[in-house]
Amino acid sequence: MSEIISKAGLRELAKEWIAQGKAVAGPVQTKPGLVMYAKLASADEIVWKGFVRPANSVKEFVFPRHELLCTYKMEGNRVELANDEAEIPAQILLAVRPCDAAAFPILDHVFNWDCRDELYNRRRGATTVIALACESHDESCFCTSVGLSPQAERGSDVMLFDLGEEYEVRCLTDKGRALFAGKTQPSERTAPTCMGPDPRFNPEQVKQFVDGQFTSPYWQEATLACLGCGACAYNCPTCHCFDIVDEGNSQHGERVRNWDSCQFAQFTLHASGHNPRPDQGSRQRQRVLHKFSIYPEKFGEILCTGCGNCTRNCPEGQGMLTLLTGIEHA
Amino acid sequence: MPDIYTPDLMEVVNVRKQTPDVKSVRIQFQNKARASQFDFRVGQFGIFSAFGSGESTFNICSSSNWKDSLEFCFRKVGRVTEALWRVEEGDTIGFRGPYGNGYPVEKWEGKNLIFLGGGIAMPPIRCAVWYALENREKYGDITIVYGARTVADLVYVDELAEWAKRDRVRVIQCVDPGGQTPDWKGEVGFVPTVFERSKVAAENSVALVIGPPIMIKNTLPVLEKLGMGPDSIYTSLENRMKCGVGKCGRCNAGPVYVCKEGPVFTMEQLQMLPQDY
Repeated sequence: MSEIISKAGLRELAKEWIAQGKAVAGPVQTKPGLVMYAKLASADEIVWKGFVRPANSVKEFVFPRHELLCTYKMEGNRVELANDEAEIPAQILLAVRPCDAAAFPILDHVFNWDCRDELYNRRRGATTVIALACESHDESCFCTSVGLSPQAERGSDVMLFDLGEEYEVRCLTDKGRALFAGKTQPSERTAPTCMGPDPRFNPEQVKQFVDGQFTSPYWQEATLACLGCGACAYNCPTCHCFDIVDEGNSQHGERVRNWDSCQFAQFTLHASGHNPRPDQGSRQRQRVLHKFSIYPEKFGEILCTGCGNCTRNCPEGQGMLTLLTGIEHA
Repeated sequence: MPDIYTPDLMEVVNVRKQTPDVKSVRIQFQNKARASQFDFRVGQFGIFSAFGSGESTFNICSSSNWKDSLEFCFRKVGRVTEALWRVEEGDTIGFRGPYGNGYPVEKWEGKNLIFLGGGIAMPPIRCAVWYALENREKYGDITIVYGARTVADLVYVDELAEWAKRDRVRVIQCVDPGGQTPDWKGEVGFVPTVFERSKVAAENSVALVIGPPIMIKNTLPVLEKLGMGPDSIYTSLENRMKCGVGKCGRCNAGPVYVCKEGPVFTMEQLQMLPQDY
């Protein structure tokens, strides 16, 4: 037994959510040939098929690329600070790829260990994630190498499976059930299992290599083409490094956090001029180290969902996959 | 909703120009209730901000016994420190903290203390020196070797002179060759060599070594020759930081967040980490 909803029914439901004032986001064709996750003005904008995955990740809906921390206002030598008290409207992320949804519980760790980041939590709490199981993959996909799959449920409140004219609906949390209660019909049909890409590397071996071969020439040789643009990190569902800067003048302005990337030369540059990571080799090594050693040691899971966005967005066609599959021959 | 990144507002109560490009600034909480709750360990750091220019990370260089104010000290090198350079008494700046682990001052009790500092590394040593002097009976002999490029670059010189007058305290000041003035009474040479020729006894001692990487690197063999093990040599890492609370991903050195597990490490701990600092 399963629960299904017709495709037209789901579109109507999405219209209802938008009409209720919920922010709904999903894959949208932003220009010819480019599908990105974006907030929907109308449920008809969503693109359901014909692409492997959006070029960006959904993290920006809980961890925006630019976020206000506080405003400051100066009068004489007095300063007044104010926080953003605006309510975050309920938001629904629709037709999210499983490799994007799986990033949320991973990000939850970092924003809540030791001290809690309520700016993150308030957006996360307002978010319901409706994932759509993948039916296709490309040569950049490697979810099966990091313990996920085209149908992985991790991080999703609801999973949808394409049955042709309908979607099979599997509600996984109360949040998900609340959205679909009374909207689905029972059915005998269930989605067939979709095989993902063949596993391409073993994350345990990656950890051993990056822990043991910190000074290996491999890091330099394999990353010679890296331009240090940071596109891999910005489009990664799990990369979460940020910078804190003031934007304004000496009378008033905002303290904000912006996405940052370990691929930028200034990321670790000391005021003295010393830079612990002076080249792209050491910066790419850090990215692997963080994802496959540091994070797993601290939080028990890999900081990578195998989405392949790093490779797809790289102007040099490199990415985690090229770097990690090369380890075998290093 | 105040969040973990919103700073406390602090009033500047004192500004001292230490050298042509180094200032120390003393600040007080404007919120008196916050002031009475505030506590820290020497060796911890804060994130200090000039509104409109941004935040920067410095050691809290006052002793944790001084309850009325906090002090930090910085060299003018960039956007934020240029702005902090311009603050005057009565101005308002931001402060977040205290962050990091601090010095294990309880573990150091009963030991002789050797402080080795270079250049702008005096402030993070200064807080520990004052703490030890204020708990004098708990610590043995105190040796301070402090060097800078030139005589004009030495910071907290008045306090160095005051410490030298104290019982069982030896202060050795040095400047790099060429950095001396005609009336310079201290040593000429780099910290590791000056320390070696000063014949400091190292029995039952802990050493705190802070300074540029090259100074630390050349000081370690001298300490080893004196028989000090890597578990009794401490340093404070200076990895760049933004959040201070283990989230922004910047200060990792291998598996540790320097802002959480550090910034104070023994050399034994550092030997276990990849060379990423």
